Amino acid sequence: MAVGGGVEVEEGVTRVLLVDDSPVDRRVAQLLLSSASCAGSFHVIAVDSAKKAMEFLGLKDGKEQAIDMVLTDYCMPEMTGYDLLKAVKALNPLKPIPVIVMSSEDEPQRISRCLSAGAEDFIVKPLQSKDVQRLRNCSTGRPNKGSPPCECDAAAKRKPLVLPPSAADASPSGRRANFAGVAMVLHSSRVELSQYFPLLLKLVVLVYAVLCVGELLHRWSSRGGCSLALWCA
Amino acid sequence: MAAAALREQLNALLASMFASGLVDEQFQQLQMLQDDGSTPGFVAEVVTLFCDDADRIISELAALLEQPVVDFDKVDAYVHQLKGSSASIGAQKVKFTCMQFRQLCQDKNRDGCIMALAVVRNEFYDLRNKFQTMLQLEQQIQAQQ
Repeated sequence: MAVGGGVEVEEGVTRVLLVDDSPVDRRVAQLLLSSASCAGSFHVIAVDSAKKAMEFLGLKDGKEQAIDMVLTDYCMPEMTGYDLLKAVKALNPLKPIPVIVMSSEDEPQRISRCLSAGAEDFIVKPLQSKDVQRLRNCSTGRPNKGSPPCECDAAAKRKPLVLPPSAADASPSGRRANFAGVAMVLHSSRVELSQYFPLLLKLVVLVYAVLCVGELLHRWSSRGGCSLALWCA
Repeated sequence: MAAAALREQLNALLASMFASGLVDEQFQQLQMLQDDGSTPGFVAEVVTLFCDDADRIISELAALLEQPVVDFDKVDAYVHQLKGSSASIGAQKVKFTCMQFRQLCQDKNRDGCIMALAVVRNEFYDLRNKFQTMLQLEQQIQAQQ
């Protein structure tokens, strides 16, 4: 694979480093990204291994990155796409290059693993033209403010659900910590999850909160708290 | 006109390939992208790449399964590759056979794997013949224009 030095492209063109050990998949991805629907938007550099990808990126160490985005296959011999993902994110922690992982396996564990490691998105193969829009939204070359909600939802739906902390604590301070956690969950549910989950989650959390409050009141009253006992009477 | 007759033949071939489950929507998508106009020869290129790749993998698999002690991990890795590339171009029948093949690898079933390889080989040859006819027809149509 011919790997050049600095890549000079026009404004608005996303430079993609494509990493896949399968020649067929590489070609299909390249052709999809250069098709009429996204003519001129992408400049693709294809390599057949994670090692070669690291060598290419390493050339730009300390200087301005020549790549706007890394699109990598997950299953590769020697160094997997997951290892590459972590290595790319570690290259420049202050301004990490967006990484999108592709895989033929639609495995929730694998997906959440990649997203937790910082992947911007996870695409199940085979790559299709509708996936190209997701690539466009994830690149540093374009601001994310205008990104359509469905793309964020797709990534968010694959994130593991944030569950409320367990009710194992007996102490009042433990309960307070749970309330704080519950409040955080409510906030995060508003921001991250799709429409339906926050409603369900809030319902569950409300019920849990009511139960907690009820138990607390019961304990305070059973300890002989004078004013509260009137409430329970 | 000759071109129209050729076009009809090509369409009939493609329709039968879809109807028999030989190819699926992924192949259709790739064809549509080619018809968009900016990437002519798209389909011919990936089809050729796939056929070369599949040929190579099938040979490797045959060699591995002939060994006195079969390395099922290696066999599985190759079948996984073949499954991936057949999915990428929409070679549905080959893809499904590969899925079954992988299960046999995981069960370490040697005889099962040998039979699965024979099925994959036959299906691949059938697909390759149809692809070759398709490419020939496309070339003839191009020549007429």
